[in-house]
Amino acid sequence: MQNGDVVHYELKEFQLFEPLFRWARKKSLWIVAFCTGCGGIEMPPLATARYDFERFGIMPNPAPRMGDLFLITGYVTPKTLKRIIITYEMMQDPKYVLAHGSCPINGGVYWDSYNVVKQLDKYIPVDVAIAGCMPRAEAVMDGIMTIMKKIEDGTADGWKRYRENYEYYRKNQDELFGEGWREKDARRWLAWI
Amino acid sequence: MDMKEKPKVEEKVQGETTVEEKPTLPDTKEGKLVKALIEKAPYAEGEVIRERRIKFTVPVERIHEFLELASEKFEMLMQISVVDWLKEGQFEVTYQLWSVSESVHAFVKVRIPRDDAKLPTVMDIWPVAETYEREAHEFFGIVFEGNPRLGPFILEPREYEKHPLRKDFNTLSYVKTIYGEDFDRYDESKTNYVI
Repeated sequence: MQNGDVVHYELKEFQLFEPLFRWARKKSLWIVAFCTGCGGIEMPPLATARYDFERFGIMPNPAPRMGDLFLITGYVTPKTLKRIIITYEMMQDPKYVLAHGSCPINGGVYWDSYNVVKQLDKYIPVDVAIAGCMPRAEAVMDGIMTIMKKIEDGTADGWKRYRENYEYYRKNQDELFGEGWREKDARRWLAWI
Repeated sequence: MDMKEKPKVEEKVQGETTVEEKPTLPDTKEGKLVKALIEKAPYAEGEVIRERRIKFTVPVERIHEFLELASEKFEMLMQISVVDWLKEGQFEVTYQLWSVSESVHAFVKVRIPRDDAKLPTVMDIWPVAETYEREAHEFFGIVFEGNPRLGPFILEPREYEKHPLRKDFNTLSYVKTIYGEDFDRYDESKTNYVI
């Protein structure tokens, strides 16, 4: 792909139905159940009777191939980040990332820790970040509402940014993990890549 | 009870303050455990911290011998923890033992010099020690002689070289080299903490 080329993410024939697709995507966000850090324990209140996110069409789902929404629930270590990047690249477009808490934004309480990634946005694109340590379930619901609005008006474009700026993200990832980390490490977990 | 009644002033007991050189061991199961073990191993110091907690301090040359003796009563090794005493130049290694038969938790403490941190492995007594020794080796750089699997374990290779839980490991400068300098929590003059 040349730099000057215009990237078409939607088929031209379906442009007419794009608002319908967006509405449908907004109403059926499936979560990749990949819980990092302390936010994993904040998910059960959301899923159970009081907040019950299934009424918005949100469903936890173990397979990244079927996921739409990737929740980063808490701090991210370099080891986890390797798995996160592989999982994120396995997800089908369109895919959205929702980051919980202060840690993915700037390190949070682990701001000088040797093994917590400071800015997640340098390695994968984040669509909505919820500040707080940890954000309460209401704040997470508010973040989910925000991402639903952003999907509907087309501003949740992290997956497009990841394609267009792939060299930038790839450069940052290689700086952190060293050249050839996919071949060395990721092949051990995922034999087929 | 009458509210206006003055509270009785407690009469001070004229107790003679007996200064004991060595605190005697209490007549409980913990005290008996300590006493029995000290008799077998007179080089160790033992004391009772509280109910179900006892503590031993052992010189480094005889730690393996002592732990072998202790393993008759203490069947489980629960953890090996390390404290880094930077000013003294010593590591304090604590073997935490649990006695299933007596329900007593024992801390066996040993001090080793920081620059030449070597200990014999206790894998022949408790095979679980392998994991704990690998962890202590990775985070503090203590060499457990006889453990076949010492080496990079949990951390990334570049962190393994630095032994990040040592007190002289400079976290902030390490963070700046690895993750970049553009995080905004702290400025160099220490006048402005943004937390």
